Amino acid sequence: MSEPILSVSGVTKRFGGLVALRDLSFDIQRDEAVGLMGPNGAGKTTLLNVIAGEYKPDSGAIRFNGNFITSLPPHKICHLGIARTYQIPQPFVNLTALQNVVVAARFGRGLGKAPAEKEASEVLDMIGLSEKKDALAKDLSTITLKLLELARVLASKPELVLLDEVAAGLTEAEIPKLLDTLRKVRSMGITVLLIEHVISVMMQAVDRIVVINEGMKIAEGAPKEIMEDKKVIEAYFG
Amino acid sequence: MDVDRNMKVPINQLRLMLPVVLVAVLAIFPIIGTPRVWLLYLFLFFVYLTMANMWNLLAGYSGLTFLGPAALIGLAGYTLVIVTWNDLPFYLGIIGGGIVAAAFAALIAVPTFRMRGIYFAIGTLVVPEALRYVFYLWKPVGGEMQGGGAGYMIKGIGELSLTEFYWLALAIGIVSIFLMRIILRSKLGLGLAAIRDSDRAAASSGVDVFRLKLYAFVIAAFVTGAAGAIFYIYQGYIAPASAFNIRWLMTCLLATVIGGIRTEEGPIVGTIIVVFLHFLLARYGALSLLIQGVILVVIMLLIPEGIVGFVRKTRAYRSLAALAAGR
Ligand SMILES: Nc1ncnc2c1ncn2[C@@H]1O[C@H](COP(=O)(O)OP(=O)(O)OP(=O)(O)O)[C@@H](O)[C@H]1O
Ligand SMILES: [Mg+2]
Repeated sequence: MSEPILSVSGVTKRFGGLVALRDLSFDIQRDEAVGLMGPNGAGKTTLLNVIAGEYKPDSGAIRFNGNFITSLPPHKICHLGIARTYQIPQPFVNLTALQNVVVAARFGRGLGKAPAEKEASEVLDMIGLSEKKDALAKDLSTITLKLLELARVLASKPELVLLDEVAAGLTEAEIPKLLDTLRKVRSMGITVLLIEHVISVMMQAVDRIVVINEGMKIAEGAPKEIMEDKKVIEAYFG
Repeated sequence: MDVDRNMKVPINQLRLMLPVVLVAVLAIFPIIGTPRVWLLYLFLFFVYLTMANMWNLLAGYSGLTFLGPAALIGLAGYTLVIVTWNDLPFYLGIIGGGIVAAAFAALIAVPTFRMRGIYFAIGTLVVPEALRYVFYLWKPVGGEMQGGGAGYMIKGIGELSLTEFYWLALAIGIVSIFLMRIILRSKLGLGLAAIRDSDRAAASSGVDVFRLKLYAFVIAAFVTGAAGAIFYIYQGYIAPASAFNIRWLMTCLLATVIGGIRTEEGPIVGTIIVVFLHFLLARYGALSLLIQGVILVVIMLLIPEGIVGFVRKTRAYRSLAALAAGR
């Protein structure tokens, strides 16, 4: 196998006495879509925060395209090509939907004003938010904000996206549209790390699943295998 | 179609012409025999407007609730003292005041930017207090102790008249308005707006949060400092108790919040009211601060978005704006 795009090795993260991530290791290959599963409080979001540079791990290292990024600040990690969404959307509430996306196009990707606006419009189009583009983010529904997170992430032209529960809150009818968008994202050559509780989305969108519980990896494999794995079933229902 | 055009052109021309005419009229005020008191209040208006604009840039647009403008203004005033006591021209005092204030801002940025929200506010509130003690004890250019601590006359400005003070203030007031326009429409302005709404999302979208905040802080400090130096040229005297006084913060806060924080016109409207209040409350001394505080609280309760923010929400304004846009 070629060099992984992302390599997490031996990462431990503590919050006071609580160990949120415990000696966690796994790789993501280029162009792969990997799912990250685990019960509530398993440490999934924490892992995303560590990869994106918001938290420094207590030990362990993260490599992106072979380079150590463990000690870099979030904006530098974005410039290198990793973009993330937030489980609880973090929109720029006083900016329009378009401007929200323009921020990423200008600062993440380094585009000038006009090209950034064009790029942002195109991304909103792709996500299906073009009608909302002039609305202030504070006037948008939570669902729309989730999609706006996705648009913002794509506008920075990342190589790897970290998606934290983008499907949560979507209705049954909206799921196919999201899956379609995820397919488009992958066809753009973007590698995906997806946190998801909606099993159907997980099964259809990813090639491989990593399951963590209490900060430890308990299983890793193809979606089908994972769904039959004893440890996983136990972690969720036991 | 035709009706549209006829409506649109004059309004747009008016938009361009109005500021030019206004500035020209304001500029000739001192030479057409306008009463001194008027000039004085206009002078204060422009100085306070400049400071309020810069405070709005920080608190309204950059998420930096900076409670220590007095530190910048006081330091700039003392820089003016040092410059003029060394027989250098006063305008170097204005520029020097700006530079010292900007350098000081850059210095305190490192520790204070680590603090967020309320902690940044509190952290910066104590800065002028600390400086006041410094100037109680330290006399930058020697001489006799006057007043409490380092009280000084500003030297070498004897030949300057109110007309010249006034023009200086007018100039910096206009510069501050244009600066706001330019910054808010620039990449810096967009980044600052993003930081204000969510510094986490801004950073993860590629915004270098520390650097952008630093830019805003240093720019605002320079302009605030320069305005402070211009104020002390007019005042002719500086003492630690008044230079590092909370009154400066009150002025910036009142003007911005009453007028409408996070709006470009807010500080203009707010400063008019603040100067009018100063005029009305001039003879009440310490009580004046209390009355201003009460007014601030009342405004925050009734119209938290300020006068400009409130007017913008009304239907009359919206239809007028639509008309101006030619829709
Ligand atoms: N900033 C923090 N300070 C202290 N504890 C934290 C912090 N962030 C997360 N934790 C704790 O770390 C553990 C893992 O939280 P995390 O948010 O990573 O879980 P998760 O797998 O994303 O859960 P969910 O499915 O509910 O989103 C939890 O016990 C949580 O309370
Ligand atoms: Mg989570």
